[in-house]
Amino acid sequence: MILLDRVTVIYPNKTVALSGASLHIQPKEFVTIVGASGAGKSTLIRLLIKEEVPTSGKIIVGSIDYDTIDKANIPHLRRKIGVVFQDFKLLPNLTVYENVSFALEVSGVKNAEIKRAVPKILQLVGLSEKAHHYPSEISGGERQRTAIARALVRNPKILIADEPTGNLDPKNSWDIIELLLKINRFGTTVVLTTHNKEIVDALKKRVITINRGRVVKDEKVGKYTL
Amino acid sequence: MITFWRVFKSGFRNTFRNAWLSSAATVIMAVTLLIMTFFAFSIIFVRSQLNEVQKKIDLTVFISDEAGEAQIKELQNKLLQVDGVESVQFVSKADALKRLEDSSEEGKKLAKSATDIGNPLPSSLEVKLAKLDDIGGVNKRIRDLPEAVIITETSFDSRDDNRKGVIENVIKISNGVTRVGAVLSVVFLLIALMIIFNTIRMAIFTRREEIEIMKLVGATKWFVRGPFIVEGSMYGVFGATIATITLVPIGRVAGQFLTDKFNAGSTVAYFGTNFWLIVLCMYGLGILIGALSSWLAISRHLKL
Repeated sequence: MILLDRVTVIYPNKTVALSGASLHIQPKEFVTIVGASGAGKSTLIRLLIKEEVPTSGKIIVGSIDYDTIDKANIPHLRRKIGVVFQDFKLLPNLTVYENVSFALEVSGVKNAEIKRAVPKILQLVGLSEKAHHYPSEISGGERQRTAIARALVRNPKILIADEPTGNLDPKNSWDIIELLLKINRFGTTVVLTTHNKEIVDALKKRVITINRGRVVKDEKVGKYTL
Repeated sequence: MITFWRVFKSGFRNTFRNAWLSSAATVIMAVTLLIMTFFAFSIIFVRSQLNEVQKKIDLTVFISDEAGEAQIKELQNKLLQVDGVESVQFVSKADALKRLEDSSEEGKKLAKSATDIGNPLPSSLEVKLAKLDDIGGVNKRIRDLPEAVIITETSFDSRDDNRKGVIENVIKISNGVTRVGAVLSVVFLLIALMIIFNTIRMAIFTRREEIEIMKLVGATKWFVRGPFIVEGSMYGVFGATIATITLVPIGRVAGQFLTDKFNAGSTVAYFGTNFWLIVLCMYGLGILIGALSSWLAISRHLKL
């Protein structure tokens, strides 16, 4: 499903963000990537959504070889990968419902289909009641669930969650993790990055540890160790 | 199609989100369109006036009453061969009297007195010139003809070189108006382009987060760019609307004034009958300027 083969990223200022990182994630897996700040987690995620290109190495997601994809097809690629960020990245002037439907609108989905899909996904993340609230009117956890709904509404095969609990209290953090587990049970591959030791240890899922741009540990049932 | 409509809707909505900048862009667009229309009108007006003047100015050769018909015919033929002469028309004594009679109320009275004393008006040959600047030369060449003995006087003799000066002035004004109009139009066009360019640049800057999110959720290049082009075109549409609303009363007053004072009825009528075409041109030009500046701004500042 996701294959990174000796991927190296060196920035113009000579900073090495990733150095020969290789990893293989199977379909329907739930993988947590851990590492200290600056270890290369965010670079890894930017590579997966093709916001960045590797200096060397190969990336294949699904059946798509990132070397051969042209610029015009990047939007189509991004529609297949749902992404959730620590800072939610919601549009403040759109309601919860509109934020989610926006993701469908930009991909040219018909209105009737949008009207059918959005309430369903809002129900899944437990936000049906807040559909017409603006992001400023809901809690951090609810904002993150909105972001997850937006990422999921197009039925992506992969959901990438980049420190989704970074701005949330423990209760909300667990709500989000449980939501991600639920999504994973439905068959979506989940790639989670986090700094939260408690969560990683409790998950008992595969953990990939990155340090200074290298994959230093990859355990089937891992723990948070840096 | 559905995407096009969404892009259009989004662009339309965005136009109103930054009201101050949008107003500035719209006003400058309206001013630019008005200036361009004004100068286009001025150029056509001055040119048509120049044409009128040129048509009116020719050389009239007055014939002695003693001259016989054959002599006049011969002179007429010779005149046609003179360098710089385009055409020659004979006006008999009776024609001259008729013209005087028809010219005005005053002319009618004069014609009546003239008839009473046996029509003292001379017959004449009206010479149309190929080129106006050569009126003095043509006059001399005519005077030098052996057949010129039957000429008592020419219109050029009696007014010296005055008209030539007038004509030269009219030509100068016409060229001046064309030049000033072109320069001012280009200057305002550039100002409009710059202001709309900056408005869109600001819009790109204030909406950079939104643009980033659009890209993240997989919006195509045109879904991100399209609304800015629509926004730029909107300034054109609003600007042209303001310009049209302003133009109607100005056009009415100016049209009346020019018809009364300058006998410019034909030019004014031309604008009257082509009013909707002019309006259409303003909208077209406005949309073009708006879309072009938007395009320049996004290709410079919106890296996708």
